[in-house]
Order: sequence, then C-alpha cells, then structure tokens
Amino acid sequence: MGFFEIRDLCKSFDTVTVINQFSIELVEQTLCCLVGPNGAGKTTTMDLITGRQKPTSGQIMFCDEDITGLDEHEIARRGIGRKFQVPAVFRDLTVKQNLEVACSRSTNPVKNFFRFREPVFAAKLEEVLALTGLGPRLNTEAGILSHGETQWLEIGMVLMQDPRLLLFDEPVAGMTEQEIEKTAEIFNRLKKTHSLVVVEHDMAFVKQIADVVTVMHMGSLLAQGSIGEIEANERVREVYLGDAED
Amino acid sequence: MNLYHNVRAQWLAYLVFYLFLAAVPLVVDDNFLLNQLSTYGVYGMLALSISLCWGFGGILNLGQGIAFGLGAYGMAMTMQMQSQDASNPMPPFMLNNSLDHLPLLWKPFANTGVGMVLALVVPTLFCLVFGGLMFRARVSGPFFAIMTLAMLSAWGTLILDMQPYTNGVNGITPPAPLHLGEFTLDPYSPTAYWTVLGLLVVATVVAKLMTLSRFGLVVQAIRNDAERVRFLGYSVAGYETAIYTISGFFAAVAGCLWVTLTQYVSPAQFDTTFSLSMVIWAGIGGRMSLMGAIFGAFLIQGAQSYLGDAFLNTWLLILGAFFILVVRFLPKGLIGLVESALGRLGRKRGHDNGGSVPAQQMLPQPGE
Repeated sequence: MGFFEIRDLCKSFDTVTVINQFSIELVEQTLCCLVGPNGAGKTTTMDLITGRQKPTSGQIMFCDEDITGLDEHEIARRGIGRKFQVPAVFRDLTVKQNLEVACSRSTNPVKNFFRFREPVFAAKLEEVLALTGLGPRLNTEAGILSHGETQWLEIGMVLMQDPRLLLFDEPVAGMTEQEIEKTAEIFNRLKKTHSLVVVEHDMAFVKQIADVVTVMHMGSLLAQGSIGEIEANERVREVYLGDAED
Repeated sequence: MNLYHNVRAQWLAYLVFYLFLAAVPLVVDDNFLLNQLSTYGVYGMLALSISLCWGFGGILNLGQGIAFGLGAYGMAMTMQMQSQDASNPMPPFMLNNSLDHLPLLWKPFANTGVGMVLALVVPTLFCLVFGGLMFRARVSGPFFAIMTLAMLSAWGTLILDMQPYTNGVNGITPPAPLHLGEFTLDPYSPTAYWTVLGLLVVATVVAKLMTLSRFGLVVQAIRNDAERVRFLGYSVAGYETAIYTISGFFAAVAGCLWVTLTQYVSPAQFDTTFSLSMVIWAGIGGRMSLMGAIFGAFLIQGAQSYLGDAFLNTWLLILGAFFILVVRFLPKGLIGLVESALGRLGRKRGHDNGGSVPAQQMLPQPGE
C-alpha cells in the first residue's frame, strides 16, 4: 500500500470511453508531470481524483484509504488540493479574504459561526506571501487582478490549504518567462515537502520540474519514466512530442 | 481606504441609525402611525433575512413568505387560544365549519409558551428540511428560486383549503392582543414599537457578526464560486442550508411580530406578490448591505402607504420600473451610492495629504 495509487480507472460517457484502464502510482515527495495530447484525458483524471466526476470503475487510493466516489469536500479534507485550469478565485472578495477562505482547517459551518479568525492563518499568510509576492495586493478585490496575479493567488490558495497532494492543471498558462521561472522555483521547493501532480503542455517547464513524467494517450497510460526516457520513447514521439515541438 | 468598508464605521452607523429610530415614539404621539411604523420594523427584519440569504449567500429566495406566514399563523393560533377557555374551548370559526372538538393541530397552542416556540420552530425546521433536500441535490440559482416559488404557492393553497382548521381565506383574527402573564402587549403602544425595534437590533447584530465570522466569509465565497469552495474542503450544501435556515428563522420572528401588531393573518401572507416585494426591498436598498436592505423596506413600504393610495394600480408599475432601473444602474442598490460617494471622498483626502507615499500604505489596514 502506498501514498497514492490509481488502479484500472475507467470513465465513460454513454458509449464514449474517456479514461480506459488507467493506473499509476505516486511516491511521496515527488513531482509527477502528466502530459499528453489534447483529449488524452488529463483533466478528466484530475476530476476523477478530486471527486468532481465519479469513475465508472476502478479505484483511487490515497494514504491507504479508498477515496473513490467520495464527494469533493471529503476528498479535499483528506489532503488533496487542486488548482484549476481556468483560474477560479472569489472575485468579490479581497486577496486576503480569498486566502482566508482557502485556509480551511475548520470546515464545520456551526463551529465557524463562532470563529472570527483561523489561528494558523497569520503564519501561513506570511509564508504564502513570501512565495507568491502578493503582499502589496492584499486588500485588492480579486476580480481586478491581472491574469498572472490571479494565477498566483490560486496557487497561494492551494498552498494555504496545505494539502499532502497538490494537483495543478496547467499552472503556467498565460504566464510570462519570468513568472514561469518563478513557478518552477516554487515547485522545486514544494516537492521537498509535498507531492505534486502537474498537467502541463510546456515541455521546457516540464523538464525543469519533473521527477517523473507520465504520458497519457486516449485515456490510457502510454509511458512513464524520467524526462530522458520519455524523450527517447518512440511511441511517445509518435503521438505527442513530435507534434508539440513543431 | 473607503470608509464604507471600515467595520468600526459600520457599527457606528448602525448605532446612529437605531438611536434615531428608538427616539421616534418620543415625538410621534399618533398611536396609529406608531403601529404602522412598527410594522415597517417587521418589514425591515424581512429585508434583513433576504439580504442574508440573497445578498451574502447568493441564494435568491422568492418564497420567504413561507417562513413568515408559518410564523404568523403559529402566533395567531397562540393568541386566538388565549381568548378561549374551558367553557368555550374552540375558536368561533370552527363552530361555523361544523367541527365538534378542537383539532389536534390546535391543542399545543393552548399553552402560550409552547405555541410561541412552535411558531418559530416549525418554519425553521421546514427551511432546514426543504433547504437540505434542495442544496444536497445541488439545486441552485434560478432553479432554487422557482422551487421556493412553487413551494410558496403550495403552502398558500394548503392553508386556503384547510378551511375548518385555518378559517380559509378569512384568516385568523385573534380578538385580544398578546398577553404574557400579567403583561399585555398593546400593538398601538410605544412598548410594541420598542419591542419590534429591540428585536430588529438583535437580529442586525447577530446577522452582522455572522457576516464577519468565518461562516460568513465562506458563504460569500460560495456566492462567488460554489464549485471552488467544495475543493477547499467545505460542504457547500451544509453552508447553504445553514444560511437559508437562519434567514428563515428571522422571517419567522418577523411573522410572529407582525401578528402581534396587526392581530390578523390570512393566506394573503403567502401571496407571491408579498414574497417578491421582500426581494424588491432588499434589491432597491442594497442586498449586499444589511442596513441598505432594511432601509429599502422602510422606503418602499413607506412610499406605498402614502403614494400607493394616490396611484392605486399604477403604483405596482412605478415600483416595477423603479426596481428595473435600480437593478440596471445600481446593482448594489441605493446604498451603493453611499459607497461610491465615500470612496470618492476617501480618494480625495488621500491625495491631499498623501505626498509621495500612496495613502493606502499609510493607513492601518482593517482586520490586522
């Protein structure tokens, strides 16, 4: 039994099979990049892991527990955090309030009536601000942040949540060179203490951060290994890298 | 910083607002006017409940009349039973409907304490169960609004139909005002006015604290993006049910107060127009602001009392047009004007003494 494992995962919508017998295993404190051409089922896999969609069959194990088919909030409470492909932040709330909501140590609605602040928030906030540099924007409404800043805010929110496993769906989409550099730096620091799964198209970025690369194609596992092995793999070249590097 | 968003300034504004309202009976000696003003207080509480649910939680509830009406019926039954005794155990209308004994439904209301508790508990429980079922099934947005509207009509029809138990369309008119032990609450007295105002103040303080708590923060996050909140580990259905139920409880309190003031309740309280007007009060005053919503209720109901008679049926058209204009041009309601005015004032001051340092960095930030 391991830290995180997907076994024979299947997902079909009517007659269309999106995920077909997909299995992977993750080791703690590694960064796994999930790559594959469009429609390979990367985002669906994320949805299945986090409970947004229920698998047709198969099993997802996290920390020796079967989390298959649980609701989103139950999976999140067990320690899986997710950053969405399209940045999803609370637009009417300030940056600070966004981070406060994300600092979800107590989730009981009744108990939260009587709570006006989260004890660990101040310390966590300092840590997250140091990583994301959102300090000057703390009292700005999230709705008027720039695209890059919104990405940072959502990364900050996932960090606030302090999950054991972090899922990032295209975290550097729309970022500038410097911002991508900074994100890579953060990820390399994070993987010393956390486990990450990153869906990404930007192969230069993948090279910078990945311990393991998992290639998906047509909803199944195509190849898995270090970046070097993947680049040398003939089948991967055929379906993916060839196209992507043009 | 905009003074409007300063929590301390907001509390101060509540204090001034309520002190002013508390002083009203000192200058008004017309008891009928005072009674009318007291009912505005009840409408204010309804608007407050809508503001919590719709403004903060983003849950549009077109059926707030359910909680209000059930509370009102409970209170009316309690007050009616106060006028009955052993020699005359049944309300007169039941005799007209050829009932020969007091129905089981009415028995608990013979005890004033139990009756008043039921008047609050039944509507609250209803909201808890109905809301729980809806939100767990992820019914939201316009779909939830339609469900509340349908539920409202169902309750209205039910009460209308149960003529022997509810006196149908005529409603219940308790002959005497509420008395609690030795004390009688005269609906035309300053005491009644202050009772309503006192409860409105308590409701406002509770609601305000709630919006400032972590619960309130999560509820506002749900209004923005319920999906995202789930992935942070919060049970969205739990939070939505909680805010909907609390809002229903406040409406039930308003219903009870309303009956003590008017000594009357009928299926008209379940009319869709009444529930819709609650939403209009909050929308015009400003649904995101508790005080804005309360002010909206005062403004619209006040205008209706005085202008409504002059314009008759045209009044509804005027109100509708006004609502559309506010929603289109002032999405934050009339209170939004105050927000932007204070914002402009704050910026101006910031430029005057800012120098080379931006004013925002010099001011202490709230909540730190």
